[in-house]
Amino acid sequence: MNRRTFVRNMCLGGIATFGFPVVNFAQVKQGGRFVFVLLRGGFDGLAAVVPFGDPSYRSLRGAFAFGESELAELNDTFGLAPGLAPMRELWQQNELVVLHAMAIPYRTRSHFDGQAILETGIDRPVGSSDGWLNRLLQVMPGERSGIAIASGMPRSLTGSFNVQTWSPTQLGAVSDAYLDRLSSLYRTDKVLYGRFEAAVQQQDLVGEEPMAGGNARRGGITPLMRATAKILRQDGGPNIAAVEFSGWDTHANQGMAGGALDRLLGQLAEGLMALRTDMGPAWSNTTVVVMTEFGRTARPNGTRGTDHGTAGAGFVIGPKVARSIVFSDWPGLGDRALFEGRDLKPTLDTRAVLKGAIAAAFDLTPAQADRVFPGSTAVRGTYEMMS
Amino acid sequence: MGSEVIMNATHRALNGFGLGARAGDTRLVSEPRAWLRAQVQGGPPLLAAPAEASPAAIAEALHAFRAVGQAAGQQDQQQARQQARRRLVQIAAAESHAALAQRVTSDRPFVERLVAFWSNHLCVSTGAKVLVAPLAGSYERDAIRPHVLGRFEDMVLASARHPAMLVYLDNFQSIGPNSRGGQFSGRGSRGQKRGLNENYARELLELHTLGVDGGYTQQDVQELAKILTGWTVAGLVRGAPQVTAQRGHKPNGRTGTTPATADPDRNGPIGFTFQTLLHEPGTKTVLGVKYGDDGEEEGERVIRALCRHPSTSRFVATKLVTHFVGDQPPAAAVDRIARVFRDTHGDLRVVSLALVDLDDAWSEGARKFRTPQDWLVATLRAFNATDVSEAVLPLLRQLRHPLWSPQSPKGFGDTTQEWADPDSLLNRAELARTIARRLRVQRVDPRGLVDLVEIPSGDPLRGFLADNSIPADERVALALAGPAFQWR
Repeated sequence: MNRRTFVRNMCLGGIATFGFPVVNFAQVKQGGRFVFVLLRGGFDGLAAVVPFGDPSYRSLRGAFAFGESELAELNDTFGLAPGLAPMRELWQQNELVVLHAMAIPYRTRSHFDGQAILETGIDRPVGSSDGWLNRLLQVMPGERSGIAIASGMPRSLTGSFNVQTWSPTQLGAVSDAYLDRLSSLYRTDKVLYGRFEAAVQQQDLVGEEPMAGGNARRGGITPLMRATAKILRQDGGPNIAAVEFSGWDTHANQGMAGGALDRLLGQLAEGLMALRTDMGPAWSNTTVVVMTEFGRTARPNGTRGTDHGTAGAGFVIGPKVARSIVFSDWPGLGDRALFEGRDLKPTLDTRAVLKGAIAAAFDLTPAQADRVFPGSTAVRGTYEMMS
Repeated sequence: MGSEVIMNATHRALNGFGLGARAGDTRLVSEPRAWLRAQVQGGPPLLAAPAEASPAAIAEALHAFRAVGQAAGQQDQQQARQQARRRLVQIAAAESHAALAQRVTSDRPFVERLVAFWSNHLCVSTGAKVLVAPLAGSYERDAIRPHVLGRFEDMVLASARHPAMLVYLDNFQSIGPNSRGGQFSGRGSRGQKRGLNENYARELLELHTLGVDGGYTQQDVQELAKILTGWTVAGLVRGAPQVTAQRGHKPNGRTGTTPATADPDRNGPIGFTFQTLLHEPGTKTVLGVKYGDDGEEEGERVIRALCRHPSTSRFVATKLVTHFVGDQPPAAAVDRIARVFRDTHGDLRVVSLALVDLDDAWSEGARKFRTPQDWLVATLRAFNATDVSEAVLPLLRQLRHPLWSPQSPKGFGDTTQEWADPDSLLNRAELARTIARRLRVQRVDPRGLVDLVEIPSGDPLRGFLADNSIPADERVALALAGPAFQWR
């Protein structure tokens, strides 16, 4: 008996508690899907969404400046880097909001603090704070669940709401007989039984293709995005997924078209497009947000890379986007416009964008969204950018 | 009730208070409470640093790392930096290995559980800054371990002065705005503004002592941060006013003046120093108490006061009862431990004995889901491991629970909800299979595992373990991965 038959037999055998977490079936199933893609390491917004139309761009980026013809042009000012060219399809289908000069609401150039702020959704580092995705699960209505696609539970999903995790198997595969016997052991433990069954079921669903463990440098992120789609697109599947990719801390040799950073961007774009394809009909209800803990210095450093900066770029993707736009109160790149004389100046709070995105994904009121991001203020247009 | 895992007193002592039964332990421990009480008599076992992590080796590795970090960025510089970084991580690996081996082989596992508990309560994280990596093992060994049967406030003070904590929560870079150093300092090499850093002060209140609802204000955080300015790390401090000449002894014995281009501390041993130059002058007020201009003494006084605050006893008692009784700590048990903590000014030997005396800790409902570290240590103890292979450290990473690397200063979680997610159970199932395969050569008899944890009567595990048609290594894996072994 292979794993798949085993799981199906278990279902037919009438074992009732076959899901995790235990849900109240009187509630209406929440149909929305929301994927939070965290680019760990600080991704270079100026190299990804290129402000070629800014008069200071060329002199500031120097040898790093892209020519207009290399870019996938979005408007008179901005173009997508060559690696992100596949995302032009999203732009044309009115499924892409490009965010720029955006930053977390706390000035830090530490990865640790920056990620903590982005993931907790509050405006200063508080060691005991839960993740905002977990608060979202607490606030949103209906039968719902969340999942971390990661080799560890990300801070964004930690909190009192039970969430699942899934990561590619890293050890040798185990036999069905072994799992079968373990299942019969777990049946005697009412706390753990449903959890164990859910894991076996999920593993079966995704299959056992070898996958990269979330590090974009190794083999791309597309397999992980495909697995995410398989998990999310099920009826009653998780509503919220946190996915993360590392490798964006490009202190040296970022390169130009075809260079190190551009290849990473290519992997990101390919992964996002694969997610969209593999979601199938469920894509119509899906919203994806891509963010990073901080942008990078406006000028290149001495090792042909960039150092930790402040504001950067991000994306909101999906059919719930009202229309494709670049959403930015662009501060410019002139010497006086730069933050502390070195970084793109932040003019947009990540939390304002996230509030708009989650409100559209799950039909939340602004008051509910404010409970997910306590103390955050509203920014004009962040709700209107979604339909 | 056959489906519930119920532990008897021996199992509670060995697994709940200890770190997992070894073969034969259940016969040896006939008086479970007396066995635990005996363990907390006398001082805690003190450890020597592993050879790779001697103070000199740590200082050398840190200085080497700082040196490449400061050199002008060039192509091959990147490689040098990686190499220097690797040395820091190697020290952390040697320390992790030593700490894990101690847990696996200890004859006083209750004390080792206490070390792990307090180390996590006052945690540092190697994941936050690579500079913490070579210091974390020393932190647990030198700041936490000596005090687990001593006074809580001495432990918190040792933590406050240890370079690992000073670096982890940034206090080493905190400068009093009106201090003499604050008047000099401009911006750091990466353009960050230098000044007061509240990070450590905030977590000291929120996570180490009073707790988030303990009754302090943002104003208290700021004032506490001012008191703690000047508490920094010798051998690492940057930005202290540069000294252009340094007195020293020349080899020939004549006293002379040697020109020095950098802070004299910069390449010396790594350790706590109080720098008056960086200390904020003036009177500060924390929780309504005034602290006059008294240098390092201010910090010592305020930390002792925070440790004796009623909110602290309640906060700490709640965490302890959660750890030893269950995820929903009974209010009466928390009250009892809080009272003992308060009445003894945080005498942790008395508090530990009071935990053993809690009836709730021996009730049928008392049980905890094993964290990954607990599970792996219990697995190795189950086989009477006398040493730990280097290969175990990656397993802890695989289980998402490497030593000294929580995501936030809150430390690793301590409840079923945080660890018993579906993927982690499957992870353990796969890992148990791998471990059992590797153990096959040692001809472990799977039936020996029956005694180590309480197996309820309805559990098919006994049947599987006696079933010769199942390969022996698979039977071992079933015991380690089955639900009975996931609880302590």
